[in-house]
Amino acid sequence: MVGVSPPAAPGTGQKEFRPRTSWVTAAAALAFLVLVGRLYQLQILRGEEYKERADENFVKELRVPADRGFMLDRNRRLLVDSRPSYDVTLTPYFCGKQCDDILLQLSTLLSLSQEEMDRARDRLHAARGLERFRPFTVKVDIAREELDIIEANRVPGALSGADVIPAPHRNYRYGTWGSHLFGYMNEVGADELKKTNEEIEKRDDGQLPYQLGDYIGRRGLERRWESRLRGIDGRRRVVVDAKGNAKGGELEDLIPEDQRYEPSRPGQNLVLSLDWRLQEFAEKFFPGTAGSVLAMDAKTGFLLALVDRPSPDPNKLSGRITRAELQAIRNDPLRPELFRAIQEHYHPGSTFKVVTSIAALEEGVLKPGGTVFCPGHYTVGRHRWRCDKDSGHGTVDLEHALGASCDVFYYSLGDRLGTDRIAKWGALLGLGKPTGFDVGGEISGVMPDEAWHDKRIPGGYQHGMSLNVAIGQGDVNVTPMQQLVLYGALASGIVWRPQVVQRIEDPTGGAVQEFPPIERERLPIKKETRDQVLAGLRAAVNQPFGTAYWQRLKDIFIDGVPITMAGKTGTAQVVKLGAKRLKAAQVSYFERDHAWFAAFAPAEDPEIVVLVLNEHSGFGSSNAAPTASAVVKRYFELKRQDALERAGLPEAGPPLPPADAPKAAPPTPTPPPLDKTPVQRAADGEKRGA
Amino acid sequence: MALDLLLPHAGLPSSRRRAFNHYPWHVAFLVVAVAALGVWNLASASRSAHAQIWISQVSWMGAGATLALAIGFVDYRRFMRGAYVFYALVLLLLVAVMLKGRVVMGARRWLTIGPVNLQPSELAKIAVTLALARWFHMDAGKRKDGYGIASLIVPVCITLAPALLILKQPDLGTALIVLAVGATMILFARVRWKALVVVGTVVAVGAFFAYPHLKPYQKKRVETFLDPEGDVLGAGYHATQSMIAVGSGQGRGKGWGQGTQTLLSFLPEQHTDFIFSVWAEEHGFLGCVLLLALYYALVASALGIAGNARDRFGHFLAVGVTGMLFWHAFINMGMVTGIVPVVGVTLPLMSYGGSSVIAVLMGIGLLTNVGMRRFVN
Repeated sequence: MVGVSPPAAPGTGQKEFRPRTSWVTAAAALAFLVLVGRLYQLQILRGEEYKERADENFVKELRVPADRGFMLDRNRRLLVDSRPSYDVTLTPYFCGKQCDDILLQLSTLLSLSQEEMDRARDRLHAARGLERFRPFTVKVDIAREELDIIEANRVPGALSGADVIPAPHRNYRYGTWGSHLFGYMNEVGADELKKTNEEIEKRDDGQLPYQLGDYIGRRGLERRWESRLRGIDGRRRVVVDAKGNAKGGELEDLIPEDQRYEPSRPGQNLVLSLDWRLQEFAEKFFPGTAGSVLAMDAKTGFLLALVDRPSPDPNKLSGRITRAELQAIRNDPLRPELFRAIQEHYHPGSTFKVVTSIAALEEGVLKPGGTVFCPGHYTVGRHRWRCDKDSGHGTVDLEHALGASCDVFYYSLGDRLGTDRIAKWGALLGLGKPTGFDVGGEISGVMPDEAWHDKRIPGGYQHGMSLNVAIGQGDVNVTPMQQLVLYGALASGIVWRPQVVQRIEDPTGGAVQEFPPIERERLPIKKETRDQVLAGLRAAVNQPFGTAYWQRLKDIFIDGVPITMAGKTGTAQVVKLGAKRLKAAQVSYFERDHAWFAAFAPAEDPEIVVLVLNEHSGFGSSNAAPTASAVVKRYFELKRQDALERAGLPEAGPPLPPADAPKAAPPTPTPPPLDKTPVQRAADGEKRGA
Repeated sequence: MALDLLLPHAGLPSSRRRAFNHYPWHVAFLVVAVAALGVWNLASASRSAHAQIWISQVSWMGAGATLALAIGFVDYRRFMRGAYVFYALVLLLLVAVMLKGRVVMGARRWLTIGPVNLQPSELAKIAVTLALARWFHMDAGKRKDGYGIASLIVPVCITLAPALLILKQPDLGTALIVLAVGATMILFARVRWKALVVVGTVVAVGAFFAYPHLKPYQKKRVETFLDPEGDVLGAGYHATQSMIAVGSGQGRGKGWGQGTQTLLSFLPEQHTDFIFSVWAEEHGFLGCVLLLALYYALVASALGIAGNARDRFGHFLAVGVTGMLFWHAFINMGMVTGIVPVVGVTLPLMSYGGSSVIAVLMGIGLLTNVGMRRFVN
């Protein structure tokens, strides 16, 4: 029946094979038991754990970014807020093998620069492991048209992995104005991320950790109050498939309803002590290319205005800035990234003479009413020091010497005091150490004593140095903020800690924290000493021999009484003078003198202290004092305006001279074009100042 | 291929009627049971793909069942004569695949002949089974005291030739199955202990030296198996996601159509190689034990048929088919649960795919053929 003959008789095999099949059946049973055991392990023993992992798998948490807190001025004018804007991101895991193509597509749609392309490519190829699930930014802050283009191209299947996410960007409404104080924001760095998150964990105050790509406050108040401004992100949980696509409809029910959405909590607002009307005025009036204008409430130590120039635009720093632009800022010889008010120190020049005066009076070196004859120069040993006025001031007392800024008078005091005693009083008045201003990075300046000279100066201390120190040259260095505090102390008798944040509010306007004035100490000098120094400061502005006589206040009255200002000019040498005085135009910008003016008003009961530093601009009397005088004047005008408003009366006074009404669009005062040399730029500044 | 065996003159009406009197109905029942669960499961697995693939699976199964019944009409001993011819034909097809095959997903596995798309590697399992069964049948009586190495050269070559061709495609999974089937049949023929030790040593040493020559993705799979969580998003993704699916099914499962891993496409190849994880996720430990019990019952019944076959050819044929079913099931479920490296092996009657269904049902056809003719002379 069958073609192939059976080699063995049918059935004989069964005897041979049956036991064998039993063995094999048992072996198969064993194998299946192994599988059952494994299933028991996975499903019963570790089932709970795998169930959780399966749930995590499809739940994608989307962050709902919190609104960052605002910064307001004392009249609640909005200075810094956030504006809605969009970033384009790419998630490497979801674009998979097409990432490079999609990046090219995005490049065309968004006209990415080579730099942005390179950065995106680096991020794309550096992503490993879980990193591949994290979206990275391809382009920040896209334009409205670009948003439309992207949305139009987002047909299913195209541009997978690319997302447009709402990412509110910081809006510094007045551009470079006040920007050193505000700071800026940019992406958190990898190392910083780790450190910051550890701190957050330690603090345990409900703050969420940062993620790569998050923005964080840099410098200024943004950085100082980062944890208050930041707010707490909310989250939305959505169901996604393995490709990360969100699934709506009935699949949403996989997540319990109460776990789908957690609203974000906005950050707290900073109410600053600045009066932005005064700030605007000062920004426009101040002619300097570089320098500071600081105004402080003499009765509290709170700042009213803080002009600090030059400064890069924080809107740019916080968003789309190219490497080249950043490099240009770094290489700018004017160093726009420097917060001059607290991060740079200068010779105080003649403004230091108040310190020498106090030291001389307190140490008894100068008797009240004591005089010095000024022939135009002062000689110690074989060296001759020149006075500011070559012809000499004649016989001068303290009031006249301070008012007319006679150098010889102070050479004489310096000669008699020696450096150590000047340094002692300088230190007592707060020089040589930080003022405690709330924003970080403050330097301490230098108030050198003899030991300091021995250590730092080749050849060690020599007595002649005390003459230079006495007029604020030599190695004395102060920051503008220290000067402000010093003159504030003379004005009020109190050494204030300068502050700028008055109050922190929650988003509804309720106060979270109030900042009272902080008195660091009382001015540690006798009343007679202070009276004599104040007389000198009044003379400087109000006596015809005074260096700032032309800047005295006119036409400003309170209750019919004219207001007077007290102050001191300073012209700080930057390089050693040659035999012959040169005009400003004859030396290069960086060799020109710094102009100082420190003032307060009313002289009898000071309310406002103003300090002006105009870098490399020449004389204090002509390049710093006018700004201070104008700011003081503006302060009293505003005060009057506010009082009238409070009383419900319309503005009745004469029209306000140069302070024009604030415009909505922030003007761009600085920085000057980058292709100019510093000298050209300085020359421009000079012209504007003239 | 096997089609020429379906000629109407093959077999006599009288013996045919008698043969079906002893049809192993329990095997048919088990096959239908597993196949039904398979279709039901596929209907759930394909929900996310929005494709009613279970319908085409049913039609493949219909075709396979018809083929299996058709095979039953022909006395299996008639296949002995064609065994070598069929084997040679399959080898030729495998070579043809190598030269002219269609490349799908980086592997050359498919051959297009006219309107038919053919995966010759599936046929290779049957061909090796038939060829080895014939060789051991003809060889009977010569080796009363078991086989030594030298005497096994021919069956080893019969196994290795197609296995290597398939490995070259590359299709590690099917090559392994061919090897496993061949090895099972050879071991069943009783091999001397000494020979076993020698072969074991040679295989171990060979694997050691062959490892560097594996394709990178194959190497990766081995490494991943040793440490599946080491590369969760890369090579370990399949293994990890599959274990999550299985484990999250817990005791009673999430219910038909409720598996989130399945629904949201976290499972790779969820219709084919990883179909068991769909089942495990939705029906839990209880469902898995039920399915394992069905497979075990099928294997045990098949072994019963092997033990009761009326001649050596029948024994070996049944053992070969059983080996194929067993190794497919064991390797696949082991892979899904993470105790075997990830290799492309389907789960008989559960995985979607025409080639797999047809090959399995052809095997079942041969098996029932042996079973129903255990008394026929």
